[in-house]
Parts: sequence; structure tokens; C-alpha cells
Amino acid sequence: MERNLTHIALFAALIAGLGLIPKFTLAFGVPITAQTLGVMLAGTVLGAKRGALACLLFIALVALGLPLLAGGRGGLGVFASPTVGFLVGWPFAAFVTGLIVERWRGNLALVSAIASGVGGILVLYVFGVLGMSVTLGKTLPEAALLVTAFIPGDVIKAVLAGLITSALARSRPASVLSRG
Amino acid sequence: MLQLRNVSVKLGGVEALRQISLNAGERRIGIVGRNGSGKTTLARVIAGLQVPDAGSAEIDGRDMARDRKAALRSVGILFQNPDHQIIFPTVEEEIAFGLIQLGRSRAEAAREVQTILAHFGKSHWASAPTHGLSQGQKQLVCLMAVLAMRPALIVLDEPYSGLDIPTRMQLMRYVDEVEARILHITHDPESVRHYDRVIWIDEGRLRADGTPSELLPQFEAQMRLWGGRDDLSDLAG
Amino acid sequence: MISLTSPVETWAHRVPAGVKLAALSLATVGLFALQDPWHLAIALAAVVALVLSGGLAFAAEAARSLRILLPFLGLIAVWHLVTGQLAEGLAVALRLLAALSLANFVTMTTRLTDMVAVAAWLLAPFRRFGLSTRALELSVALAVRFTPSIARKGGLLTEAWRARSARRAGWQVVMPLAALAIDDAEHVAEALRARGGVEPPEFTG
Ligand SMILES: Nc1ncnc2c1ncn2[C@@H]1O[C@H](COP(=O)(O)OP(=O)(O)OP(=O)(O)O)[C@@H](O)[C@H]1O
Ligand SMILES: [Mg+2]
Repeated sequence: MERNLTHIALFAALIAGLGLIPKFTLAFGVPITAQTLGVMLAGTVLGAKRGALACLLFIALVALGLPLLAGGRGGLGVFASPTVGFLVGWPFAAFVTGLIVERWRGNLALVSAIASGVGGILVLYVFGVLGMSVTLGKTLPEAALLVTAFIPGDVIKAVLAGLITSALARSRPASVLSRG
Repeated sequence: MLQLRNVSVKLGGVEALRQISLNAGERRIGIVGRNGSGKTTLARVIAGLQVPDAGSAEIDGRDMARDRKAALRSVGILFQNPDHQIIFPTVEEEIAFGLIQLGRSRAEAAREVQTILAHFGKSHWASAPTHGLSQGQKQLVCLMAVLAMRPALIVLDEPYSGLDIPTRMQLMRYVDEVEARILHITHDPESVRHYDRVIWIDEGRLRADGTPSELLPQFEAQMRLWGGRDDLSDLAG
Repeated sequence: MISLTSPVETWAHRVPAGVKLAALSLATVGLFALQDPWHLAIALAAVVALVLSGGLAFAAEAARSLRILLPFLGLIAVWHLVTGQLAEGLAVALRLLAALSLANFVTMTTRLTDMVAVAAWLLAPFRRFGLSTRALELSVALAVRFTPSIARKGGLLTEAWRARSARRAGWQVVMPLAALAIDDAEHVAEALRARGGVEPPEFTG
């Protein structure tokens, strides 16, 4: 009970922290936020349920008015902006990612990367595109077209999520709760 | 009265404690030993946070790991690293937490928080964010949080490590005034020289047990001897 | 932790949080129901008046938080210039500006504690289905407590990286940072148990 709760809270804090580190860039100097990497890791490390709850907790804190999104954004305005789906989709993304890692007991790095791709890209983009389509008044294919530019960056994140998860499992075997 | 009978603990393949037996009722007890000797593990067993793999650990005849309700009143623990202990964003929330856990109402808890802060002359800390405190200030908040719950026995796990000399002296003064019985884990013989009893743990075993005046000179001589060698490279296990 | 509540005290700070949130929900639904650019322009004018009622400093702060819309506004402009559906483009842009400003207005004029109180009220019915409000409270407190410490450790790790490398740190620090978060979780779980756990033992008298 205590461990579940603290892991959920600490991963919410990790996702927030990843957005707050100053001048933090992922691969190739592209200033893309590392926060979705945190979402993928919540799924691969904590598993479906705890991972989804960590993301839900994070979203709740943003809604309450804490500036936890990359660039110090937060508050209710986030939910009225075109990227709303990419935030609201996090718990679902982490859930699907976690579910795959829990069920498919293959090589952890590979499974985590694929799971992050399915959850953190496929599932997340469904929500993201829906949000864009509603807020920008575009059809779904039109909205999907607008976000394709971000897919390569997210594929890199999914691969990183796989590598990081397996590195964590090696350094702290008990820490990957999804495989516990 | 603290009673350990043949306590053994294995952590990730390492025998952290081996067959420790002791009875302790003194007001001030020091526990000394090298890094990795098992002191923190012993503290966790005494506080009921670690169930021994063999043997039993009881305070006043009760198993602290099972009877958590009794444990809250019988034993408090100050962790080696205050960052591992602080749960809340502000000082008052941190101190109030244990009181609410003991069944106090929020209003009662808030009053008692004020009392303890005032006792240490730190009333102005109430709404301070915990993460902005210095190491010594964090230690003091943790100490206040434990003291507020008024346990009969308080386990201190190296409460002065990383503190400068004035901060350490202040904290020592606070600790010496505490009414509860204290079990104080340390590397530093000076901080327990005036205690009633000292226990020396070595490689998970109880190596010696006695008054500070007979035991500490032995301990210091041994530490100096070991200090001349290079055994940092030895890995346990 | 810093919240987004504006330090400039306005009349709206004194309106109950629940009322503001309910009004925001209704207004947002309304904004998405409107299609005519003229109606939306009037709605936006009303929102601008509302924001200006907080004073110039307040309004300037509110305007700054609209910057995230710039790329989208640019996109809409290009898109609708190319397709020639100018009225639709105008409607989308006006709606976005109004909805976002209004939502930010509520956040800027509502204190965190009041928000939390409304959230607790909204969640109360779920207690019947086994939702532990105590666990919820604790997890919020923990996340707020550990966010700055994780961000600081992240900063230290990037620094430690830079001290020994000519290249900027990037994803390489995420792994040790995640490891630290996991360690913290284990330690705090123990600290929680040391003081009675999530569901403390009942003390009666
Ligand atoms: N979680 C753990 N998993 C595996 N081994 C552990 C764990 N915790 C402690 N140990 C091992 O148990 C032994 C005793 O550790 P303990 O922390 O009790 O020592 P200590 O005397 O408190 O050391 P220090 O003075 O450095 O704080 C050490 O060899 C340590 O490596
Ligand atoms: Mg120790």
C-alpha cells in the first residue's frame, strides 16, 4: 500500500521534474520535452495501473493550477488549448504501455520500447489528434497531418524508454514493478 | 524495555545482522560500528520496519513489526538521511502528520505543532517549504516530527552526520534534553561518551557491549588500526 | 510550490471557486457551440473586458500565458488563407483565444487551497466506491514535496555530466534520475510506515 502510493507520487514528481530541468534537451539538440518519456517510463516501470494513476495525479496537479508542464505551463488553460489531447491521453498511454510490459515477458528493453511506441505514440496520438481536431476545427485526417512532424522525436523517446527501463532493471532488479 | 533475541536479517544475499541478542532499558544507549556493519538495519528492526528473518524483536513484550499501533507510541525513528524522512511540502504539515496518525484532530495537531516549534524557538518555520531547508534544519524538523509523537524510545540513526560543529552542538543539546529513552547510532565516539551504555556492532554481529569508558577506547583503537589499512576495496557478501 | 494564482488581487479572487469553475465549464461548452465569427468576436470581447477588470498588470500577465497559442494561430492563418475558408479560420482563432483566456482567468484568480477544496468536494461521492481521500491527499502532498527535489537533482546530474563532458547532457541523466525517484519512493514508503502508514491504526481514546 505505502509502496504503491509513494511510487505513484514519485513518478508524478518525476514527470514534473523532467519538465523543470533547465535547458534540458533530448537527442539531437531538439528541445522536445522529456515529459512524455516520463509517461512512457511510468508505464514500463510501474505497470499499467500505477503508471496510469501517476499520470492522472500529475494531470490533477496541473488542473489545480501548478505550473508543472514543460515551460512552466499549467492551470485550466491547458485543457482549452489545442494540445489538450496530448495531456489527457497520458494515463491511457501509460496504462497500455504498462499492460504490454506486464503481459509480454520478452526481452525487457525491446518489449519496453515497443510498448512505449504503442502506448506513448499510437494511443497518445489518438487522443492528441482528437483534441486538435475539436479545438482547431479540423477533420481527423487533417489534424493527424499536423502532428506527423512530431512522430520521429517520439520514436526516439520510445527507444530511450526501452533502454532506460532495462538499465534500471539491471541496476535495481526489484525496481521494475511491472515485472514484479 | 527493548528485547532482541537471536535476530538475523538477510538483505539481498548479504547477512546484515547475525544472531543479535540484547536487552536494553537504559536511558541513553549508543550504538557504534563501521560503515556497513548493520547499524541502520538494526535500527529498522527495532522500529518494526524490518521483520527479522530469524529471532524476535520486542519492546515491552510487543512485536513492533506486527503491532503498528503500539509501535507508534513505543518507538520513533530519525532516519540517517532527513530527505528520506520528510514527506510533506511544509514544516507544519510534516510535524502534524504523525500527530494526525495518532488520532489527533487537525486542530489539536496544529496546536501541538505550534507548541513544539515554539519549544525549539522555530515558530517562524511553520509554513516554510521543507525542500528549501539546509541539512541541519531538515534534521531538526525530523527530530521535532519524531518528538511531537512522544514515543517512549527514540532511535537516532547518525543524526549529526553532515552537520557543521555549531549545528551539531545545538542538536546534541536538544537531544540531551529529550525525556524519552534514546538509542543513538553514530560513528563518532564523542557524541555518546556521556551515555549509560554503548554497543558495538561489527559485520552484523554484536562485538562488544558495555559502559562508554570501557568500550570506547577499545573501539577507537580498533578504528585507528583499521584506518591504517586499505580495505575500502573489499566488497561484502 | 509556486502556483499560477496571480499575486495581483482582483475582485474575482473573492468569488467562490466552485462558482467560477461551474461558469467556466458552461462558457466553454457555449464557446464550442458558437460557429458565427461575429458571435465569437463578441464573446472574446467580453472575455477581454473580464480580464481587463483585473487591472493592467493582471491583464498583461494573462496575455503572456497566451503565447503558447502563437504557433497554432499562425498555422490556422496559413491553412485558411490557402483553402480560402476565412470565416471558419477566424472562428477557430477567436474561440481558442476566448476559451484559453477564460480558463487562465479562473486559474489566475483561484488559490490552490480553494481549488483543492472544490476537487475534494467533487470526489467525495467516490468515497463510497472505495476511493481513499486520505491516500489522495498524501499522494498530492508527496508529489508537491518531491517535484522540486527531483528537478534539483536533475539539475545537479546535468551539471555533473557537464563537468566531465564537452557535450550537453540529455537523456543520459533520465536513467539516474528515475533511479533516484524510485529510491526516494522506497525510502518514503518506509518513513510513512514508521509513522503509521497510509491507513493509520485506529486510536480510540
Ligand atoms: N536494501 C539492501 N539490499 C542489499 N543489501 C543491503 C541493503 N541495505 C543494506 N544492505 C547491506 O547490509 C549491510 C548493513 O547495512 P546497514 O545499512 O545496516 O549498515 P550501517 O552500519 O548502517 O552502515 P553506514 O554506517 O554506512 O550507515 C551492508 O553490507 C549493506 O551493504
Ligand atoms: Mg546506516
